[in-house]
Amino acid sequence: MMKKLAGIVVFMVGLLLFYGVSNVDDFPGWGDPDSPANASPLSQYFITDTIKDSEVPNMVTAVLADYRGYDTMFETVVIFIAGIAIFAVVRVSRNNSPVCGGNKDDEPDLIITTTCRLLVPVIQIFALYVLAHGHSSPGGGFQGGVIMGASFILVAVAWDLDTALGRFSEKAAIACAGLGIIIYAGFGLASMFYGEEFLNYGITHKLLPGVESPEMARYYGMLGVEVGVMFTVTSVMFLIYGLLSTRGRMSGGL
Amino acid sequence: MSEHSPVLLMLAPLFAAVGCALLGLRWKSVAYPITIAGLIAALYFCLQTLVQVVDSPTHAISYFLGGWNATDFPRGIGIEYRVDMLNAIVLVVIAFVALLAALFSKRFVPKETPDREPQYYTLFLLLATGLMGMTITADAFNLYVLIEVASLTGYALIAMGSRRAAVAAFQYVIMGTIGASFYLLGVGYLYIKTGSLNMIGIHDVLLENGLHGSPSVFVAFILIFAGLWIKLAFFPLSAWLPNAYSRAPTATGCIVAPLVTKVSVYVMLRMMLTVFGPEYVYGELAWSGPMVWIAIVAILAGSVMALGQSDLRRMLTYLIIAEVGYMVGGAWLLTPGGLARGESLYAIAPGLLGTSYHIVSDAAMTLCLFLAAAAMINKTGSGRLEDMKGLFRRSPVTMACFIVGALAMIGVPPTCGFFSKWYLVSGAFEAGRWEFAIALLVSSLINAVLFFRVIEYAYFGKFPEIDSTHDHSEEHHQEETVKVDENPPSILLPLILSATAVIAVGLFNKDIAGFLELFLNSVSMGGGE
Repeated sequence: MMKKLAGIVVFMVGLLLFYGVSNVDDFPGWGDPDSPANASPLSQYFITDTIKDSEVPNMVTAVLADYRGYDTMFETVVIFIAGIAIFAVVRVSRNNSPVCGGNKDDEPDLIITTTCRLLVPVIQIFALYVLAHGHSSPGGGFQGGVIMGASFILVAVAWDLDTALGRFSEKAAIACAGLGIIIYAGFGLASMFYGEEFLNYGITHKLLPGVESPEMARYYGMLGVEVGVMFTVTSVMFLIYGLLSTRGRMSGGL
Repeated sequence: MSEHSPVLLMLAPLFAAVGCALLGLRWKSVAYPITIAGLIAALYFCLQTLVQVVDSPTHAISYFLGGWNATDFPRGIGIEYRVDMLNAIVLVVIAFVALLAALFSKRFVPKETPDREPQYYTLFLLLATGLMGMTITADAFNLYVLIEVASLTGYALIAMGSRRAAVAAFQYVIMGTIGASFYLLGVGYLYIKTGSLNMIGIHDVLLENGLHGSPSVFVAFILIFAGLWIKLAFFPLSAWLPNAYSRAPTATGCIVAPLVTKVSVYVMLRMMLTVFGPEYVYGELAWSGPMVWIAIVAILAGSVMALGQSDLRRMLTYLIIAEVGYMVGGAWLLTPGGLARGESLYAIAPGLLGTSYHIVSDAAMTLCLFLAAAAMINKTGSGRLEDMKGLFRRSPVTMACFIVGALAMIGVPPTCGFFSKWYLVSGAFEAGRWEFAIALLVSSLINAVLFFRVIEYAYFGKFPEIDSTHDHSEEHHQEETVKVDENPPSILLPLILSATAVIAVGLFNKDIAGFLELFLNSVSMGGGE
């Protein structure tokens, strides 16, 4: 009964979506340059003025980290919430829970650990490259943070979680996750300190050494907030992996 | 500094939340004071914003984040905060309710979520941040991001309770995610057709390009409203609510029950009046007939299901569903042919004043009832109605506050519940929808039955049909020896404040309604700004 009902609802939603796009005169074609989304003054402004406003060639990054930087700050907060929420819900204290997985007597496999020793530094440098290059090519704090987080997860998979926690402890992960938001919001506060609106990085050229113009201040402001995003994403990725793979014990693991 | 108060009211709880998470790693006990300080600061900035809005000549102020203002750049380049009389009041309500719920939580959080107080308060503060952000923003996508913030924290705060709470939270996660996805999909359709995410920008493009007949805009409308109705637990879509709210940890129930559905109702009003515009919602669609009927079903279903509950908190959660029916129905009341005559918004949709006033009054009375219920359960150790016996003697102050909340829910003057029903019922008569007025009155009667049942248990102590003679004499003996055993001040103070708020919102109903009328008069009716 419920399955049939669910089927009917799904069918109706599908019908609705089909109705929305089926009207050729009404729904813009794929990639249509005259569609409202592409021809609107906003899109035109982004295309022509991004480079003037902030010297950033990748306008996707400029929209993400500057024009709509406030959204991105709260997306970072969402990541932070995910980490804290999973910690709050599944974390159990080490003493009163049965041991699961992870046999201490197993030596980590030599081939795997040797490969990881070689790979991890490369992954981490690539993560920093993705972060720093977000201005001119696809990339940025979220992508860089995920790659950086993957390097710690790789250590946890190849050795065990305790080894990884030795490099990047649980408390450090939570602290770095919060620090990322403080970095991001701190750039916003710095602009308020000079009497401008929150996250108006342009004014921070008075603060940053060696930055002459508001445009370059926007450029470096974006890099700064991306660093904050990376801190949060890296730590939360690792934290979530550790918590879920050990059922909240943060020890032993897969 | 005061021109920054619209963003500072968000930053105060945000920084307090991060502070809780970081300092809580070292010192667990700092979480509570940081929370209170953050919420007091938020309330201060909310009041400052309200004063600014009242003082401004247009009764609306804008704050452009990142400095992407509408004078030097096309509107909608960046994110805009726009505060008018409606959301200025809702902001104050959110900050006030969150502060009282936080004050109230002092005893419950260490008991129910031991060793995780810093995380609990981090999520608590971020929930308040998310709700305030949903209210203040003038950007349809920013709204989505903050719905995410408010929902994720809500799921986690509910799941931190017992095992049963985790199951209920999981149902809520599924339903809430579907709702949020529908909303986002709808915003996507709107963006394709308008090229803007700014609420005023969308509205202007819809008018200028004559998009009211567009099928895409129609699909966007359905998707956005289906999503919002899930979020605000409009009756057929409300199955997730009772379990999630009644099994949640005590302090969680006290913040999510008064705020989450009410803020979602506010978002629905904003979508109706600012984004799609009354000329689309009341003119092009004019769904008043079926919508009011669904609302009537919601009111009656919520009330009747509340009758079947034997647990106090669970009973209150069903009343929330009925109250949502009041607000949605009120928003869709429409006078016949009103739009064609080109009258003011107030004459076209006479229920809007009742709906917006009810957001404030329902937040106050739900807070009062949930705090009172938690305080009563703190004394009895169980939420079952039968266990409330003799509570009047043991905790007279707690029960007095409960009665204030109950009278408001029933709709007795001078509590706020009376005035919101008054505005809604008079709106229903102006719109000629007597069936909606009858549903409101029936719901009031059912509420009276519900609360007198609780009061009967608590005042008369026992049910003679259940107790055998032996038990009877024993009970009698016990009752004589019962001494006043009142809740501690940390519980009583927020409870008394919330009961005061219920009466204050009622006594100052003229002023609040006056403010809300300023908002309703400022809504553009087809002619742009």
